[in-house]
Amino acid sequence: MRNWKFGSVLMATAMAAAACGGSDASSGGGDTDSESGSDTTVAAAAGNDMPAPFDEGPVKIAIVQNSGAGDYFQQWTAGANLQADLIGFEVQIFDAQADNAKQATDMETAIGLGVAGIIVDHGQTDTMCPLINDAIEKGIKVVIYDIAIAECAPDAVETSQSDADLATLVLTQMAADVGKDVSVGYVNVLGIAPLDRRHVIWDEMVTANNWSQDFFVGEFTNSVATDNARLVDAALRANTGVSAIFAPYDEFTKGTVSAIEQSNLQDSIRAYGIDISNADIEIMTKDGSPWVATATTDPNAIGAGVVRTMALELAGEQDSRTVQFPGVLVTQDFLRENSITNMDDLRVSLPALNLTDTSSADWIPSLEFK
Amino acid sequence: MSTTANTDTTGTKGLAPAATRAFSAREFAVRYGFIIVTILFYAFFYWTEPAFRLETTFFSMMKFTSVVAITGLGITTAMTVGGLDLSVGSTAGMSVTISAMTMVIYAQSAPLAVGAVLVGGLLIGAMNAFLIVVLKIPDLLATLAMMFSIQGLKLIPVDGQSVSSGLILRDGTVAPGKFTEGFLKLDRGFVGPVPYPAILMAILTIVMWFFLTHTKWGRVMYAIGSNPEAARLAGVKVGLYKAGAYMISGVMASISGLILSSRIGQGDISAGASLLLDGIAVALIGTSVLGANRPNALGTALGAVLMGILITGTTIRGYPFYLQDVVKGAVLLLALVFSFTLSRKKHRHQPAVPM
Repeated sequence: MRNWKFGSVLMATAMAAAACGGSDASSGGGDTDSESGSDTTVAAAAGNDMPAPFDEGPVKIAIVQNSGAGDYFQQWTAGANLQADLIGFEVQIFDAQADNAKQATDMETAIGLGVAGIIVDHGQTDTMCPLINDAIEKGIKVVIYDIAIAECAPDAVETSQSDADLATLVLTQMAADVGKDVSVGYVNVLGIAPLDRRHVIWDEMVTANNWSQDFFVGEFTNSVATDNARLVDAALRANTGVSAIFAPYDEFTKGTVSAIEQSNLQDSIRAYGIDISNADIEIMTKDGSPWVATATTDPNAIGAGVVRTMALELAGEQDSRTVQFPGVLVTQDFLRENSITNMDDLRVSLPALNLTDTSSADWIPSLEFK
Repeated sequence: MSTTANTDTTGTKGLAPAATRAFSAREFAVRYGFIIVTILFYAFFYWTEPAFRLETTFFSMMKFTSVVAITGLGITTAMTVGGLDLSVGSTAGMSVTISAMTMVIYAQSAPLAVGAVLVGGLLIGAMNAFLIVVLKIPDLLATLAMMFSIQGLKLIPVDGQSVSSGLILRDGTVAPGKFTEGFLKLDRGFVGPVPYPAILMAILTIVMWFFLTHTKWGRVMYAIGSNPEAARLAGVKVGLYKAGAYMISGVMASISGLILSSRIGQGDISAGASLLLDGIAVALIGTSVLGANRPNALGTALGAVLMGILITGTTIRGYPFYLQDVVKGAVLLLALVFSFTLSRKKHRHQPAVPM
């Protein structure tokens, strides 16, 4: 087992989007050499002339990645590649494969390459921050995804999936479903950045709705769903009268759902999660499933969004130092009404997953993933 | 890979026709083959990739090389006494955790962290030695067991988490310390354009080369590696030298860990994971350099440089990571061909290859 904390963050995020990409291995739509698994279409062609520096041939950038297990990164990179091709970037990708020391070396090499911009995708704050500042000192634009660098490298653009947004979407739905002043349960593990950010919103919503949090369980193990099912099962026996459980990571939610079903309480308890996958869709749409809502993003679209942010930064049009990619609420009713059985169906029914409005400009051709 | 093919054919061309010419060509391949391969790879990347020519690329390559080389030097030492140390990667990883704990959790100074790490490496070497020499467990098995034990043990005091400043401790308080500037300089500092780790690598290589080939201790170690029984009959305290070799290996691994820790800037619990295989590879590659046909410090350092060239070159060319492994494997195989197939030297010294 590698770096536990980082690994679990990766896993959490990977799971979050895991199934967004699905497993369609059909070759990518079009003119790119990327390994995209998704068919894509160009939603909007470049309307205007490209601003500098894009008006003079391809612009070189590097992506310094630190990928982990799961197809999250594959999808992220595929999306980034497709978008980069459309903009006219020449991309050099470094992937440290969860080796933080290698990522430091990669970053040094990338800085030496003389690229116009570097995208840093995941990594450790302490490792990457000094190097990010080195790059900026040398006049290289830096956009990062999912590393906390706002304090130590304030001149870089920090992009992230909005965990607060994901949690707010689901919990607002939960509040609408179960109302105020009810007993609720909570499954989470603190100390993992995205889960911590979701936790903040949970605390706010519990107070705002005067919910009584009857239990708070959760553990992060190699078999998350099974182990948490055991915990939730025990908690449900000790606490009767719970009307909803929030489990802000789909492996937690899966465990919660199976515990509810084991205790035969699916008629009285609703489960709310975050993230979605093909397997999750199957669980949510099953007859009598207690899992009624979740929120998610599409890693393909996020990869593309990060590249668009880099384009804006290079063109001098990116003013804010932070960009957040919003999530989309997916309810059980929505899935059933639209007969959605997998991620491909979901993408067709929920074009908002494409994030085409985030970090876009009329000169940037945007992408839709299908 | 066309470059390796070239040298390979130079070697084999001469073999068939005339015996005398064959001998000299073969001898030449064995002696200089690997250096030529290294130069050819360097030249290939130098000409084909403008980015490879940059000074910054060269020195970041040397930084990468240094960690592998220093670990390899430790493995080389274990190999000279006919053993192999599989615990080096874990030892380096443990060093990262120890240094982070010393500075972040206990808020101690960098010198103390360095001291704690070196003592830790020495203790692991001593433990390996105890298992191998006193308990008579075969080297591979003893160090394999240690590898797993350390991997798990190092996580106990930190609850399996990476240690970084601002860490919340068990009692709910925030860890008081942080990685000091001085410690971070270990990897990030320079003398002129030359990064510290590269200098450290050069010094340790020369020290180990001198120690292994020019001191009584080193020569006795080689003698033990060739034939431990003969060495014992000659009155050598075999156990003592073996113990020394594993302690050197442990300390080298902990030095690598210090560099990694400084590079990563936090107690990354996954650090050092890839180090064992790379370290063994460069030590084995080293056996083929200059036809030495035995583990040696200069060869190991050159092996690490070649590895650095390959990794940096293929990364810049944009090869996926799995192709890099293929290239590494092919180069290692080539080195073994030089050592075992082409060389006419009798394999009196058996580095832990025919395990």
